[in-house]
Amino acid sequence: MLRWYPASWRHRYGDELVALMADTLNGEDPSPKLRISIAWAGLRERVREAGLLGTTKPAAERIFAGAIAVLCAWMAFLLAGGRFAKYSEHFEQAVPRTSRVISVDAYNTVAAAAVLGGVLVLIGAVVALPSFVRFLRSGGWPSVRRHFRRALGISAVTGLALAGLAPEAHSLTPAQRNGGSFIYSVAFGAIVVLVSTSLVLWTVVAVAATRRLELTRRVLTTEIAMAALVSGTMVVMTGATATWWATVASSAPWFLQSTRSGSTASVFEPQLAATMSLMLVATVAALVGMRRAARSWREFRAG
Amino acid sequence: MAVAPTKYVLRSYVRRSRITDVNRAQQPGLRRPNDPPVLILTSLATGPKHGHALSKDISEFAGVALGPGALYGAITRLEERGLIEPVGTEGRRRPYRITASGTAALAEVVGEMRRIADVGALRLGLPLSGRFA
Repeated sequence: MLRWYPASWRHRYGDELVALMADTLNGEDPSPKLRISIAWAGLRERVREAGLLGTTKPAAERIFAGAIAVLCAWMAFLLAGGRFAKYSEHFEQAVPRTSRVISVDAYNTVAAAAVLGGVLVLIGAVVALPSFVRFLRSGGWPSVRRHFRRALGISAVTGLALAGLAPEAHSLTPAQRNGGSFIYSVAFGAIVVLVSTSLVLWTVVAVAATRRLELTRRVLTTEIAMAALVSGTMVVMTGATATWWATVASSAPWFLQSTRSGSTASVFEPQLAATMSLMLVATVAALVGMRRAARSWREFRAG
Repeated sequence: MAVAPTKYVLRSYVRRSRITDVNRAQQPGLRRPNDPPVLILTSLATGPKHGHALSKDISEFAGVALGPGALYGAITRLEERGLIEPVGTEGRRRPYRITASGTAALAEVVGEMRRIADVGALRLGLPLSGRFA
């Protein structure tokens, strides 16, 4: 059960906690309630260790933890955004010309904010690059090597799978690509899983590396500004996606259900709802991370 | 001794609360009487105890069953803030004792709780136990 706790905590308190549980349980098996409470407490310790909870970590670490939370939220948002991009393909053709303006504007807003967010994340990475190089030169590579190799391996597999599927996709009709071909659908699903896994693993690499960086005050200031702007783009994209959904639902609900144009259709679509939910969760996570960084920033600035 | 009017007592309490809110911000987790850190400090005020002894004592005097996760989460925070400290080891068990800072923090929290209890007692017409008695 102790695996829920971070290694440093286990090293310091693990034996005592085991002794306490042994005394409390008196030879009986731990109940599900106890297991859940230990898991919850362990996860809280992990969140604290990451600098996202409590005030025991230095302000600079808490600021950076908040910025990393925004980065993780952005990566989750990318998954949702990718799903939205696929889902909304060719929607202009389905929406009547008279009510197309708002949905097209909303879609373009999502696309523009996604590009802006991506650029901001890249700027954040470039700004932290000198610190990363210093980290590698000072012998930090072994601490991220395992994560890096894993991410690289999955990315290579994803690249090969994509290269294999692309020619096949070109030989299919749009109907076959959109659920008409069972084999293509399965292969596409596998690609989505691979791309998602790659994204998650690269996020793990970024988090593992950046947690160990020593950032100057100037770099930290830039990172927090980038994080705030990225959070802003996520808010905009979530709002624009909701607007897109609402306008398409009111003017062309058949598009949401992929049914015949002009037919009656439900405005609720589970996949779009799941995508929207992931966007919302990611946006809230980013805002929580920003709040954490902003609160710690005041303390950091005060010295 | 004349009992202070409720209005005065409340105003005075609110004023003091503002001051202690600043202090409490430095000692998160020491807010309510059943907060695990308060229970642990109260238990350790009578002498060093390890995890199981703490759990039993807290259950006896407060009727609160602290799970191992909650207990050790609070112990971690209290030790980080220097309010408690370990005292050697007993096998795998490690007893803790309250530090001078811990005693001061507990005294402040107990004083604040007593003030609230006194205001409540005053309003209910019950005998006072604190400074207004």
